[in-house]
Amino acid sequence: MEPLISLRDIEHRQGEFALAIDRLDLHRGRLYALAGPNGSGKSTLLRLLALLEAPQRGQAWMAGEAVGARTRQRLRRQVTLVQQSPYLFAGSVKANLEFGLRLRRVGRLERRQRVAAALAAVGLDGFERRLTGELSGGEAQRVALARALALQPQLLLLDEPTAGLDRERLQELEQWLSRLPEGGMTVVLSTHDPGQPRRLGAEIILVRGGKLTGPLPLAADASLDLEE
Amino acid sequence: MDSPFSLHAALALIVAGDPDVVQAVWTSLYTSGAAILLGSLAGIPVGVSLGLGRFAGRRLAVTLLNTLMAMPTVVVGLLIYGLLSRQGLFGPLGLLFTPLAMIIGQTVLAAPIVANYTLAAVAGADPRILPTAMTLGAGRLHGAWRLLLEVRFGLLAAVVAGFGRVIAEVGVAMMLGGNIRGTTRTMTTAIALETSKGEFAFGLALGLVLLAVALVVNLFLNLLQHR
Repeated sequence: MEPLISLRDIEHRQGEFALAIDRLDLHRGRLYALAGPNGSGKSTLLRLLALLEAPQRGQAWMAGEAVGARTRQRLRRQVTLVQQSPYLFAGSVKANLEFGLRLRRVGRLERRQRVAAALAAVGLDGFERRLTGELSGGEAQRVALARALALQPQLLLLDEPTAGLDRERLQELEQWLSRLPEGGMTVVLSTHDPGQPRRLGAEIILVRGGKLTGPLPLAADASLDLEE
Repeated sequence: MDSPFSLHAALALIVAGDPDVVQAVWTSLYTSGAAILLGSLAGIPVGVSLGLGRFAGRRLAVTLLNTLMAMPTVVVGLLIYGLLSRQGLFGPLGLLFTPLAMIIGQTVLAAPIVANYTLAAVAGADPRILPTAMTLGAGRLHGAWRLLLEVRFGLLAAVVAGFGRVIAEVGVAMMLGGNIRGTTRTMTTAIALETSKGEFAFGLALGLVLLAVALVVNLFLNLLQHR
């Protein structure tokens, strides 16, 4: 089956940091975990996958279409990245969730439904009129997640979505994350929690020193030393 | 000279709505208002492109902008005088000593200030704004627009600062307007010239109004900077 997104012969340098990827194929409806120590290149890889940056060398394909200067913005609408500490626009929660929907010219009625559904999915029913400046850190994180979900992207990228959560919230969010790909969405999340990929049932992509190993099926991860 | 009573006389002129006082206040407000409008139309895009752009010559452009901002008002007046005077490039248009000439000069004064403050607001904006807008589906142009909305208080501060500069300046208004009663006499030119003719109360009345305007502008600016 054709991969949702493919990277080939990528070289991307940012400051003193270089990412080199020979080949990476991500398929529809799967959950991938980018594992590796801090500063190994996980966030850079996420920005490349989000088509926010053009790699200095190499080529990306999205659903079989080559990503280039002309196609980048259109193809980017199939991907959404949620940053580790996300930025919410000043104003209401609803305005934040509607931002991307308006850009996609989604009608008013459907916008309202999608906003309500996305907020319900993250457990924030009825938060539409709340102002972003008044949200707690955890609520802001979830609003950012809802803002991405409302767009129904083919590829959802999450940078350290579970960082800083207490055990109870972590379990809750992990259960929720593991069910996300059921609707056909591809989810890639980064983590430096070595046990998380197994708990999520995710395929592992190991990022170390700007190089990738994987994706490795779940069974193989026992042999990997993620603690390093 | 009625010095012991001039404050009293000045207040009386303001309260009574002396036509000359009102005329000078009105001329100041509308020429500076028009100048800040035009200066913002020019300055905001320049500030945004310098704040977001990564192009060759950017540093030179920023240095140039800083120089323009520090340019004495009489030098701006002199240069535009050269262009508008009868032998000048735009001499045939007959603009010298008209309100339009003052508006042109004050626009030149205001634009670099607006551009500089805009540059500071944009460059100091949260670096996550643009990537957030773009990952939600915005193009670069739309992303830049979103960024402007997020720093709108900084932009407003840019406009207010520019207005503060042009309403309080004398050089351009004097050299390009000529302090003609009823048409180009502004608060500042009237203060400078009428006082020297002994009309101290008149000058003081306008000075009080100008101070009040400056106070309002700065209170506003202060409010915006604390948002």
